[in-house]
Amino acid sequence: MLLTVGAIGLLFIGYLVWGTALRAASAQRALTNELNQQWQRAPARGAAIDVSSEQFDVATGQPFAFIQIPAFGRQWRFTLIQGTALAQLNVSPGHVPGTQWPGQLGNFAVAGHRVTAGNPFWSLPSMKDGDLVYIETRLNDYTYRVIGKKWVAPTDLGVLEPVPDHPRQRPAKRLITLITCDPAWTGTHRVIVTGVLVSARPR
Amino acid sequence: MYAWLWHRLPGRTPARVGVLALIIFAVTAALWFYVFPWASLHLPIDSSGFNG
Repeated sequence: MLLTVGAIGLLFIGYLVWGTALRAASAQRALTNELNQQWQRAPARGAAIDVSSEQFDVATGQPFAFIQIPAFGRQWRFTLIQGTALAQLNVSPGHVPGTQWPGQLGNFAVAGHRVTAGNPFWSLPSMKDGDLVYIETRLNDYTYRVIGKKWVAPTDLGVLEPVPDHPRQRPAKRLITLITCDPAWTGTHRVIVTGVLVSARPR
Repeated sequence: MYAWLWHRLPGRTPARVGVLALIIFAVTAALWFYVFPWASLHLPIDSSGFNG
C-alpha cells in the first residue's frame, strides 16, 4: 500500500514538473495563434499612447498581449491573458483584474507561476533595477524599466493600487508590477517587481 | 494487497501480466489527465496571484 502511495506521489511530482509544463506550452501555442489571428483581423492603426489611449475589452482567460523580459533569456516570451486565478495561471501569466492595462496611468499588474506551468516567473526574484520589460499589444510596443523589488505577504494588496501602497493618491506614473510566489513551491510570500514606462511606440 | 490482486486476475501468468499492465496504464492515465489537473487547482502549490 505504501509503495502504491509513494509511486502516486512521485507521479504527481512528475506531473507538476513536466506535465504542467507540457500543458502550458500547448496552451501558449494556442493562445499565441489566437492573438495573432485577432490582430490580423483587426490590424494596428499606429496609435501611440499619447495620441489615443489604447482600449482593452478582454474576457477572463482571453489573450491580449505578449510579454518579453530579456533578463530571463532571449527565448523567453509569453502570451498574457486576463485573470490570475489558478485556472489562468496554470496556462499563462495573467493580468490582475481591476488593475490598469498596458500603458495606462497607474499600475498594470501581472502575476505568474514561479514553478509549474513552465516556470514563467522562475527568475523574477533575480531581476535588477534597470532590467527591461517589453509588452506588445495590438496597437503599441511598451517598454518598462525595473525600478524596485520587494517581498510582501499575500494579503498585502496595497502593491496593486494605482500608486502602490498609497491608495488615496492619484497616479502620475505608468507602472508595471510583476508578481510571483517566494519561496518557490509555497504561497507564504510574494515577490513584487516594479517598473516604470519609459517608451510607448506604435507597432 | 498485491497478492490479493494478483490472485484475482484472470488467466495464467502471461495473461495476468498483460491485464496488470493495462490496469496500471489506465490508472496512470486517469491520474495524469484528470485527477492531477484537478488536484493542482485545489492544492496550495505556488499560488502566485492575490486572488488565486
